[in-house]
Amino acid sequence: MPVQQIVEKISVEWIKGQLDHFADLEERMLTAPSGKAGLLYIKSITDPQIINRSIIAPFYEIDNPAVYSEYLNSYPGSEEGKTGKQVLELMLSGYACVHVEGELCFFDALKAETRSVSENMTESVTQGPSDALTENLAVNLNLIRRRYQSAELKMESMVIGNISRTKVAILYDDSRVNHQVLDELRERLGTLRIDILQASGELEKYIRSDKMRIFPKTIVTERPDRVVFNLAEGKIAVLLDTTGFAILLPVIFNDFFVAMDDKIQLPFVGRFLKLLRVAGVAMTLWLPALYVAFASYNPEIVRVQIALLIAGSRATVPYPSFVEVLIMLVMMEFLTEASLRLPRAIGPTATTVGGLILGQAATAAGLVGNFMIILVSAVAISNFMIPLNMMSFSIRVLKYFFIIAAAILGLVGVVVCLVGFTMYLCSQRSFGQPYFRMFFLDSLGTSGKQKGGGH
Amino acid sequence: MSQSRYFYWLFLMNSLINIINFVPRELVDTRFKGAQTSILAAVVVGTVFIYLFTALMAKFPGKGVQEIMDTTFPRGITIPLMVIFAALWCAAGLITILSFVDITLRFISPDTGPYLVVIGFLIVVCFCACLDSLTLLYGMEVMLGISVPLILYTLIKAVTNPHFSWDAVLQIITYFPHAPDVKSIAAATFSFSGYINMAVFNRVLPKLRLKHRWILGVQGLAVLLLTFYVPIGYFGTVAVEKHIYTWFSTADSIRINTFLIERMLFIFYFAYLNLSLTSVIIHWHVGKELLTGLFPSGKSPKSKASIWRGPAILGLFSVITLILMRLDQYQLNVLGIWFLHARWGGEFLLIMLLFYCYTVLRRRNP
Repeated sequence: MPVQQIVEKISVEWIKGQLDHFADLEERMLTAPSGKAGLLYIKSITDPQIINRSIIAPFYEIDNPAVYSEYLNSYPGSEEGKTGKQVLELMLSGYACVHVEGELCFFDALKAETRSVSENMTESVTQGPSDALTENLAVNLNLIRRRYQSAELKMESMVIGNISRTKVAILYDDSRVNHQVLDELRERLGTLRIDILQASGELEKYIRSDKMRIFPKTIVTERPDRVVFNLAEGKIAVLLDTTGFAILLPVIFNDFFVAMDDKIQLPFVGRFLKLLRVAGVAMTLWLPALYVAFASYNPEIVRVQIALLIAGSRATVPYPSFVEVLIMLVMMEFLTEASLRLPRAIGPTATTVGGLILGQAATAAGLVGNFMIILVSAVAISNFMIPLNMMSFSIRVLKYFFIIAAAILGLVGVVVCLVGFTMYLCSQRSFGQPYFRMFFLDSLGTSGKQKGGGH
Repeated sequence: MSQSRYFYWLFLMNSLINIINFVPRELVDTRFKGAQTSILAAVVVGTVFIYLFTALMAKFPGKGVQEIMDTTFPRGITIPLMVIFAALWCAAGLITILSFVDITLRFISPDTGPYLVVIGFLIVVCFCACLDSLTLLYGMEVMLGISVPLILYTLIKAVTNPHFSWDAVLQIITYFPHAPDVKSIAAATFSFSGYINMAVFNRVLPKLRLKHRWILGVQGLAVLLLTFYVPIGYFGTVAVEKHIYTWFSTADSIRINTFLIERMLFIFYFAYLNLSLTSVIIHWHVGKELLTGLFPSGKSPKSKASIWRGPAILGLFSVITLILMRLDQYQLNVLGIWFLHARWGGEFLLIMLLFYCYTVLRRRNP
């Protein structure tokens, strides 16, 4: 045992000196007829059960300090601190320091207070597994490994954050992953210098390459089945301790419109649901802009009856159509935002009041047309059809660009904006991989390429 | 499908865009004097050009025209050559954009100021043309995916319309036996010149394996015949000459009975606005790439000067467009016809130059 040399440098006294003013530092002396042992640990992050059962009880049972020391060293999870820095890290991450006859041994006794595996909140499905990732990395790995029983599922771990010391795990299927992406991710994580890392979204923000962008380049999910599905497609999952979300990368635009239901439903139904979502996105993006274009610029495009209907419903409205659209959309955003933040008990009040004001009173007062109310509700509903929150927020912001373009140039503006938007989308890269293009044409003709959860 | 599909898309886009660039007008002008034989001749010539060009480019995998010329000619020759070619590409985009502004003002929004419309177009074109080549190919594919179904729908609607006069078409076919007209051939070959964009896109598509190139000939023939016959079926053999934008007038004659939008014109316009903006983006991107290649590549590609080169060139193109906005419809037509002829010569010149480069290459390392 090479522990002896360290004793001169790192003694119990030295550790105690470093952890001065730690009110929750606990020191105990264990005395038995055959010898003595000292125990030092931080009470708040160690589990008293482990300390009792695995450290104190064996000491009295074994009744031989040398054997006891041997027992401690061979126990899974025990470490020997080599440098002062490492020793402090171990102590702070929930290890108990046991010193027997001048030998220091660090015994893993971490008490991780986490909630148990619970139902997922942000991405619910009608059928299929409903467990969510938890704040405990070990539990998360259990959830994933149980679903992905392959020797190819590799895991690398690293620690990020000078203070938070957050454990990060990178998971990938070695036979399917794109190694170029993996190397890039390793490099970006390796060069990361931050103090505190607490959430997956935060990490996502640090590892992105471009500062200004509107589309999410990684999926942040809490569903283990989505993680597994994407691992099988050759993606990389980054899991963080202390947060219940995983990051998946690299992603393509279409991934954001896949709900985990699609795989469970009959193929035909699944396709239909996906089509619905795409239609929903198209509606939420274009309806307000097209309304502006049709009401103010090109009423001749739509049927005469519709044009008259729009004009009739706008008869009392005292301002141009794009002001009307903006007012209503902003009101709707307020309502969405407010009902998100309000305490559960007052939530329904906000929606009722908001619905009444937006729906009834505004039209009765002649501030907005009836047509506009229908349109705004259609926009609001279709916006939330996107299964992943990040993308639904992006789309929510994007529709205003289309409205502005429509307000300036009418239908021409909408089309010009569409071209620019498509080209921008095509120019995006997620970890060097194309983000948006006609991917389904690639697989046309090249059959036999195994896809993870594909139909 | 492999990367080679992008080559076919480039071709398809150009052949569809021909109706904006005055090709139908030029054909209709000679409809009694050999337009149809000219179409056939153009199909042959165009297909031969495609075969020659793709065969030559295949000898230089992963290289643009710029790099190929640099290996053979001294800089004193390549610079003027590149400027000429860039000017042709600039003109291609320019005419599309100018005639589309005209179409927009005439058919869609007569109240909007012409400069507002052209500036709207220019902003999106300049922004997009600065993106990298691969992005533009992806984007073009998406835009074709949106537009082509709509165009096909218009075509089917047009041909199945009971008011479509097959008699007029049959009558014009009786004027078939005439000697082809050089001007019409020059105009009709525009449908085939999509391949020429490979001058730059060859850089990003190194593993091009072209199968069934004859499809391009068949497709070009189909597009040209439809371009020529459908308006005649609508307006009659004589009255067809009264329309400047023959195809937009045709689309305006079609009614959709059961949809929110009643007039086919708007669907057609939507599809063609998408396509022509994409086409301008592609053309100007090629022009920009040709010109930026002329500057000696500095040690750091991210240096400030090289970042601003592309936007500066596109700004120059935009300024030319804004100046040429003062042309009236007649002058624009003349400019369009002039371009159609000059472009044909340019294509021929480019192929000859490439052939020369190839022979030099063969002589150097046999």
